[in-house]
Amino acid sequence: MKREVAAEIVDSLKEAGIDFVATLTEANLHDLVMALGEDTDIHHVPVTREEEGIGICAGAYLGGKNPAMVMMNAGFLLSANALATVCIHPGIPVLMLIGHSGGVGEENAGHATVGSLTEPVLQAMHIVYEKVGRFDDIRPTIRDSQILARSSRRPTAIVLNKQALR
Amino acid sequence: MKRYDCLRAIAPQFGEELVVTNIGAVRHEWQALRPHPGNYHLQNLGLTSSMALGLALALPHRKIIAFDGDGSLLLNLGALATMANQHPKNLIHVVFDNECYESSRGAPTATAGQADLAAIARGAGFANVITTKTIDEFEQGFSRALKSNDLYFILAKVEAGAGDVPAAALDSQENKYIFVRYIEKSENLRILTSTLSRASDSVPKSK
Repeated sequence: MKREVAAEIVDSLKEAGIDFVATLTEANLHDLVMALGEDTDIHHVPVTREEEGIGICAGAYLGGKNPAMVMMNAGFLLSANALATVCIHPGIPVLMLIGHSGGVGEENAGHATVGSLTEPVLQAMHIVYEKVGRFDDIRPTIRDSQILARSSRRPTAIVLNKQALR
Repeated sequence: MKRYDCLRAIAPQFGEELVVTNIGAVRHEWQALRPHPGNYHLQNLGLTSSMALGLALALPHRKIIAFDGDGSLLLNLGALATMANQHPKNLIHVVFDNECYESSRGAPTATAGQADLAAIARGAGFANVITTKTIDEFEQGFSRALKSNDLYFILAKVEAGAGDVPAAALDSQENKYIFVRYIEKSENLRILTSTLSRASDSVPKSK
């Protein structure tokens, strides 16, 4: 991910009211994770496993924060039970920014299966999501996804494709 | 000692503290001993400590207590490292270690073998770690943690067995609303946003 893309995401998160972000890094997310760590307006919690981040975000929401979780799609798949039991069942929102390995433009053959499973699992879990690749789409999509998360009391997701991640 | 007896011993120490309970019998025991809107009963195995960490970071002036279990914590050991690194001074992580998956008919957990959760917590970076084997030790250790301004990990080595209490009549959704409304009121926050119907825009204002 280019630094200007990372900066645009951080600024858009803040504009959308996000003040608490849990992350699990990956090469494509590195600049975003580092930028979140340096930002003084957002409490940044680097986690050891993505579902842990879902639990932390849910707790932060109950305490009045507006949380988001940054992870790759492998981590989203790992978090399915956490999302179902901790967020969807009681009705707790968390905005998810999910890097899409194995999507269009993917050169690493090892990511293909996880890539092809990501959207079907989001759909199976009835999680509303938007795919973002163009720079100009970042800000309005983050804003609108967070509005829906808050109003619906449900997790929402933004799937960042290779174009955004490069 | 039994978990229920530990909980009964410390319940009188509670005021407005916020509690996250693990899935299993502990939720029913705690709800019976301390019915309070600041109890959040998680319906997930593993994330009790993480939910409590999120709450502790969001509300640094409130004391947060997690009532976790060995089976749950073993599912989410990385949470100990995250908690130690974040180091919220208002969080007490209590683990009732009965060395088995009690709610799942009692197969042994890793702590029935070689694993020592207190040693793992120390290794993860917790400075204040207490292991208790009697009710008195537990009560005194918890009291010390509650009065302190620091992160604590308390391991209570307990026998398996649940207290003779009624099931907590509280759905997850209901529990969430009660908890959030309590936080909103006690913290003067607006968490559950509400919006007017668009139709109300066209309703003529009364003169």
